[in-house]
Amino acid sequence: MRLALLREILANLARKPATLKYPVAREVTVAPGFRGKHYADLVKCIGCSLCAVDCPANAITMEKLPQPLKQNQRGIFPVVDYGKCVFCYQCVFVCPVKAYIVTEVFEMADHVIGTSRDISLSTIKGGGSA
Amino acid sequence: MEINIGKFIFKEISPRRYVALVTPSELREAVEAVMMEESYFSSLTAIDFPKEGKIELNYIFWSVKHRAALILKVTVDRSNAVVPTIIDIVPGALGGELEAYDLMGVIFEGNNKLRRGFLASEDVVEKGIYPLRKDSGV
Amino acid sequence: MVIVEIPIGPQHPALHEPIMLKVRTEGEEVVEVSVNTGYNHRGIEKLLEKNSWVRGMYISGRVCGICNAVHMQTYVQGVEKLMGVEPPPRANYIRTLVMELERIHSHMLVAAVMAEIIGFDTLFMLLMRDRERVMYLKELVTGNRVHADIHMLGGVKRDLDEVRRDRILSELKIVEERIKYYMKVFEEDYTIMKRLSEVGVIRKSEALRLSIVGPTLRASGIKSDVRSDDPYAAYSEIPFNVVSRDEGDSWARMMVRFGEALESVSIARYTVEKLPQGPAIPKTIPRATKPGEVISRVEAPRGELLYHIVSVGGANPYRVKIRTPSFLNILNTEKVYIGHRLADVPVIFASYDPCISCTERVMVIDEKSGKKTYVSMRDLARVRVG
Repeated sequence: MRLALLREILANLARKPATLKYPVAREVTVAPGFRGKHYADLVKCIGCSLCAVDCPANAITMEKLPQPLKQNQRGIFPVVDYGKCVFCYQCVFVCPVKAYIVTEVFEMADHVIGTSRDISLSTIKGGGSA
Repeated sequence: MEINIGKFIFKEISPRRYVALVTPSELREAVEAVMMEESYFSSLTAIDFPKEGKIELNYIFWSVKHRAALILKVTVDRSNAVVPTIIDIVPGALGGELEAYDLMGVIFEGNNKLRRGFLASEDVVEKGIYPLRKDSGV
Repeated sequence: MVIVEIPIGPQHPALHEPIMLKVRTEGEEVVEVSVNTGYNHRGIEKLLEKNSWVRGMYISGRVCGICNAVHMQTYVQGVEKLMGVEPPPRANYIRTLVMELERIHSHMLVAAVMAEIIGFDTLFMLLMRDRERVMYLKELVTGNRVHADIHMLGGVKRDLDEVRRDRILSELKIVEERIKYYMKVFEEDYTIMKRLSEVGVIRKSEALRLSIVGPTLRASGIKSDVRSDDPYAAYSEIPFNVVSRDEGDSWARMMVRFGEALESVSIARYTVEKLPQGPAIPKTIPRATKPGEVISRVEAPRGELLYHIVSVGGANPYRVKIRTPSFLNILNTEKVYIGHRLADVPVIFASYDPCISCTERVMVIDEKSGKKTYVSMRDLARVRVG
């Protein structure tokens, strides 16, 4: 009878555990280019609604802008519902003006359903509203 | 390009896809002929055409010998969708027939395992509708 | 002796999937098994009919978590044929790379599940640990460790750069060594041999009539692989062997998968090293199809995956039939269990690499959730009009 795994088991005695102690130690990293939280940059967005039409999860709704923006003649902007979003990034890909800002943020579990409304609106202040 | 198997002529529609049109009464004979060519049953697609009042059944076989998909197209009447079963020739076709009956309402004569609720949920079964038909309202 | 009927599943510690096997036993011996399905229905075929071609791409990817890229490949290559679009060679290579990474981690997963079912938990842990390397590679290439979503009508969504290529090559080296090691464990370990060999034999003569596909078919001695018989993506340009064995038992199925995983490593390495130059990302998304029908076949980790797509023109598909490998492999092998012991049932079941989310993608919406779906459909219509 052979114990094929014996050497592997002995080697593991001296090794650190392969598992991570999340969330006690937040050492979880994702690969560069991870598809995380994304939101529209209203300085670039033209309100064409292509992202909302193509979204397979119906996670994007077009809402009225609180103030007129020069490049956005339609006066609407996309709001991503992160509770519905499947992070396929079709919206990022289809956007004709590359208005979506992508991040690697993946920790989005919360007791309220998050949307990209506030973070998108905060991009207006960054300039370009003239 | 054509492949002749028995009396059935399979015409090439695209690379490695061959189609033969058969009637419901010829179906079993055709399946027997196809199975002689080292084939396995791959899929049974039922397509509903309410305007023409037809349901088209596509029996797709993959022939290891010919390295080609052999497709048998059978058209049946929508109101009276009955074809003979082939599960005694190809036991592997059981899943395909159960699915076509449950979702499209095609009756396979001689298949005593046919049952509603194989895939569809209970309330749909109770209503007696076939969900993949275009006018099912699902 | 009295015949006892034992239901295994739909929720059962020995099965990892929601399906019910009704096992009739006489003492310890199995005399009949019937498979009960219907616990995991989502109505994806109907959903595809009601959504546009572009949205359908992502819906098809959500049929199954493990083999999402192959589902997308099958759908995308079928729709591309209907649209008359040819993806650039570089895109084909990247698609192939992602699909092969998927095959490696899928085969490692089923080996791990098998190890756990036979009570070899250490091996399960070790396999899952090393599988994480492949998951990381997938995340590196596509942006997510599970859902690749890299396919796009007419190409891919993401290109591969030099830094990523080097990382893939160095990780693949480690993965290859580990797979070779685990293959040796499965070949030599006393416990594994005792539990797997001569269990659930499917003979070559029955295999075609039963219509099983994939590694299960190849373990019964029939060399049938969509990648070599009906090449798609970049497979016509890549050299590889079709692995097959003649034993036809559960052990042979595992060994075929290990052999295939090693082939996949070399295919993945080839695609990275010989990646053609040129564009990979399409500039515009094609949206209109010509009327017609296409039968699209792809070799998924579990076997032949088939999409029958019918178009009558217009923005949505007319009919999409999805036939997944597990659909054939689970339903057509009820007879194989007969004569074995009760404890062998989960082993045989796991050796088919069953995937229920694949099997039961067709569903009918019940009244409550049906209403909900309709509301969101109308939402969609409003968005389009507005």
